[in-house]
Amino acid sequence: MSAYRNSAYEEDPDYPDYSGFRNHTPGYLKTPGPLNNSDEPSTRSSPYPAESRTSPDYLGSLAEPDYPGSQNNPAYGGTRSHPYSAGTDYTKPLAEPDYIGSQRNPYQPGSSGEPDYSQSQRNPDFPGSKGSGNYTGSRINQDYLDFVGESDYPGAEENLNSSGPRASSNHPGSRRNLEHASPRVKAYIDSLGEPDYPGAESQANYPHFFGEPDYPGAEDHQNSPDFWGEPDYPGAENGHDYGSSEDLEMARQMLNRTSSVQPPYHHEGVSPLGTLGREDVDYPESIEMQSVEMANPYPGAPDNGYVNPAYVGDEGPGPAYGDPPLSGHNWLTSPQGQKLIESLIPMTSRDRIKAIRNQPRTMEEKRNLRKMVDKEKSKQSRRILELNCCAQCLNSISLAYRRFKNNLSELLSSISLWQKTLKVIGGKFGTSVLSYFNFLKWLLKFNIFSFIVTFSFIIIPQLTVMEKNRLQFTGLEFLTGAGYFTNTVMYYGFYTNSTIRHGSSGASYNMQLAYIFTIGGCLVICFFSLLFSMARYFRNNFINPHIYSRGIAKLIFCWDFTVTHESAVKLKQKNLSTEIRENLSEIRQENVKLAFNRQFIRFSAHVAAWVVSSGAAISCCVAVYYLADNNLQFLENHSNPGAVLLLPFVVSCINLVVPRFYSLFRLVERYEMPRHEVYTLLIRNIFLKISIIGILCYYWLNIVALDSEECWETLIGQEIYRLLLMDFVFSLADSFLGEFLRRIIGMRLITSIGLQEFDIARNVLELIYAQTLVWIGTFFCPLLPFIQMITLFIMFYVKNISLMMNFQPPSKAWRASQMMTFFIFLLFFPSFTGVLCTLAITIWRLKPSADCGPFRGLQFFIESIYSWIDTLNKRRSYPWVVWIYQNLIGSVHFFFILTLIVLIITYLYWQITEGRKIMIRLLHEQIINEGKDKMFLIDKLIKLQGMEKRANPTLFTLERRDSEQWGSLLVRQHDAARDLRFRQSFQEDNPKA
Amino acid sequence: LFYRYQDLAPQLVPLDYTSCPDVKVPYELIGSMPELKDNPFRQRIAQVFSEDGDGHMTLDNFLDMFSVMSEMAPRDLKAYYAFKIHDFNNDDYICAWDLEQTVTKLTRGELSTEEVSLICEKVLDEADGDHDGRLSLEDFQNMILRAPDFLSTFHIRI
Repeated sequence: MSAYRNSAYEEDPDYPDYSGFRNHTPGYLKTPGPLNNSDEPSTRSSPYPAESRTSPDYLGSLAEPDYPGSQNNPAYGGTRSHPYSAGTDYTKPLAEPDYIGSQRNPYQPGSSGEPDYSQSQRNPDFPGSKGSGNYTGSRINQDYLDFVGESDYPGAEENLNSSGPRASSNHPGSRRNLEHASPRVKAYIDSLGEPDYPGAESQANYPHFFGEPDYPGAEDHQNSPDFWGEPDYPGAENGHDYGSSEDLEMARQMLNRTSSVQPPYHHEGVSPLGTLGREDVDYPESIEMQSVEMANPYPGAPDNGYVNPAYVGDEGPGPAYGDPPLSGHNWLTSPQGQKLIESLIPMTSRDRIKAIRNQPRTMEEKRNLRKMVDKEKSKQSRRILELNCCAQCLNSISLAYRRFKNNLSELLSSISLWQKTLKVIGGKFGTSVLSYFNFLKWLLKFNIFSFIVTFSFIIIPQLTVMEKNRLQFTGLEFLTGAGYFTNTVMYYGFYTNSTIRHGSSGASYNMQLAYIFTIGGCLVICFFSLLFSMARYFRNNFINPHIYSRGIAKLIFCWDFTVTHESAVKLKQKNLSTEIRENLSEIRQENVKLAFNRQFIRFSAHVAAWVVSSGAAISCCVAVYYLADNNLQFLENHSNPGAVLLLPFVVSCINLVVPRFYSLFRLVERYEMPRHEVYTLLIRNIFLKISIIGILCYYWLNIVALDSEECWETLIGQEIYRLLLMDFVFSLADSFLGEFLRRIIGMRLITSIGLQEFDIARNVLELIYAQTLVWIGTFFCPLLPFIQMITLFIMFYVKNISLMMNFQPPSKAWRASQMMTFFIFLLFFPSFTGVLCTLAITIWRLKPSADCGPFRGLQFFIESIYSWIDTLNKRRSYPWVVWIYQNLIGSVHFFFILTLIVLIITYLYWQITEGRKIMIRLLHEQIINEGKDKMFLIDKLIKLQGMEKRANPTLFTLERRDSEQWGSLLVRQHDAARDLRFRQSFQEDNPKA
Repeated sequence: LFYRYQDLAPQLVPLDYTSCPDVKVPYELIGSMPELKDNPFRQRIAQVFSEDGDGHMTLDNFLDMFSVMSEMAPRDLKAYYAFKIHDFNNDDYICAWDLEQTVTKLTRGELSTEEVSLICEKVLDEADGDHDGRLSLEDFQNMILRAPDFLSTFHIRI
């Protein structure tokens, strides 16, 4: 038998692996080891018998199907003698009682784990062996560990072939074995102190087949200089450890196998890697089963490295050792790839597509991956239950739906607004300026939505019952918003309080309820969308602000890829270099403390600036208040309709002038960090704008409303309209005149100033201010979103033109996305919450005007709801609405409990976050420690290598391989570290999510 | 996007792409796209996304490139490719030499050599999590995590 195998081995000229392996042999050629067979029996008592034992098993199983029945080792030994009697040399060792004894020791699992390797690795070598044959072989090996599944083993006839190399390796007669054996012997003489080591030859081939070892621990490496040796050896050295890790591995293997490793084997023939790839596919699968074990520091890559050069031939061993993604095509077949495929299978199709998309692979690999997974999936499902017609139908429908959705999104993106313009802006000015335009676009969408809602639920019903408007139209109404517009759908006062009913049988439409619910619903939707977008921005941009550092690294790696204009790129490069220089000089001077008096001067400058700025804001507020207060009398005295424009004009002037005044403070204050400067400016500006709006609200609600004019809601609506319009006119004028003049001055007169930079903060604040007005005004003037829509639309083009003509790209790196978060936060917190408060006061506390608007005649706005509930209650038509109202909305207890629950949840999350912070810190320390460990080990290894080199320079090639192994070990470690870090970031994500 | 690709080399790429999927567009043409023309990293980008590292791209590579550079691509994917782009010598680590290359590309050699080396030192100091003197992928990812602008800047609009 052995002879046959030998011949098979030698006959096979295509055995690429072998030849590949022989490249290494020169180093080993001097073989002092005793190679004759006569020694072999004695070596059986050595730790190696395991090795030879496994091969006999193999033979035995081939010869004898009954073999698996034997569960315990002694029996095993008995059956073993069977095949061996057929063999030539092996009979003796089997008879050896020591041998059986050694089988019983803990080393056994280790040795039994080994056949997997040899076999699965050898199988692909043989073109004759079918994929399925391979598979069964390796699978049996798994079983083999348990001594259960051996019955399958003999069934695979191809295994005979595949077992060839192994047999020959065991066979002392083969020449090559002799050659290869030598290094091994040396190694073992060192590490094991086994002088009588003829068995080595039988294993000599092994290492080559395995390529890289599966060493459970680094110590093993150090003991045996022969690193590329095979897994059995370390096992022999510390049998206990190895055995235990194998146990773990076994469990995992079983698991793996029961999950879906199997199918890929069966359809590997169709796999896109072609016929060569086919074996490739087979092989790592079986390896992978073992590679899951934790104890093994580098299960995958080495195996990979072994197979790829031999079979695919398109890549050297280097890439295989490196980071797995490097290994090109073969990545799919590598253990990682298999693991990925496995993990993909149970997912839903959408998750799977997402996961595949997130893989850093090329398109082709992704496609292959998906194909494989899909086949996998269909295989499984076919096995479980045949797809019935219904499911197929559903499938095709979902497919068609997905296609439709894709097409739709494509269409939408193609008509998406301003795509081109935004690209140009980004290309010329970078992301930071772009963020302003994105914000503008976002607000525009908001307003379009509000407009659609109000238009469809309030304005259309009102239009159906509209009376004839008898007021005269002059041009001035566009500015004042009064006059003709008073009796249109624009203002609150025009809406009817009756129930609209067309015909006697038509459905009725209660305008009161429609009005209050539409506005309320609109605000609620705005609230949630703001909240969610804010949360999303926070999650993306403030993931861990506590470790935010100044970061030259960020400057360097965050090159703005959106910038595409040549001059812009040059400018940006220049700015970047100056910024880096500044940063460097800062770092150099960091330790230089400022003198006390200079610090004092700076501090007092800050205080003075703050005092002046808040003084300015307060005086502006007071001025606005008195102006507004006197405005009513003033309007009575002046009959000119244009007089109403005075208040908005003054407010807009303040808004135009004071922020510029604030930005002059920069000359005095001299902030060290540009970020601080921006933030202070923002705080001051927002303080100013919000307090002005607050004063105006106070004026409207407390003076205009209580004065009980004929229709105060309409008056407020008009006022807001005027403010908004005036603001728009001012910013138009500012863009066209102010910025244009500034450019002329900068270019012609005082060239030292140069072009100005686009002031993102101020512009965004203007937008926020306008949006706040719109929200307040929606209740009084339902068409305001529409007006704001138009103004924003025009503003976009105006700003765009002005930007292109008058500005230069910002010189400082702007944290655009972080600022965006800040802006949305500002939009949410003072402005939107303020609006909610104002409207709440209006609805709950104020008396609607007596003879106009939908709420005329009521004591409060909210009473419309009360009366509605009452009627429902009396009619008993919608008991659930009444129930909800009485028990949830109207109940104090409910809100009390709700608040309590929210508080508890908040507290819990806070605690979780704290815990995770500690965890993150610990993990970070761990990473650092691991890095240190790694360095230490590498140092030690280098030292050892040096010693070895001195001792025996011929082992040079070996050591080279060692270092490669170390490289792969490092890669593993890195993988582990990356895993950790990934988890860390994930954890950070979580509490906020 | 295919039309963009086709426009690059109308004589090379047939309209019916499926008939010959192995056509490659040479780097000279890829690099002259308006989106990439002035990008200091254009050569690296083309190399990273091309199959054999020489910058010649098939349509698949081309699509890959723009899918990674699109807004939708997840942060980790972007970070991975950004890392590859900055890893000039393809050794899976950003070492000081890579950093020097990056800095010179970014500043067009306006900084003196000691400034450049100081920068490299600082960057390594800042981002190197395990103190092995070079940046591995996870060091890089970790750092990118702290730079919120990365997502919006590592992005090419088409």
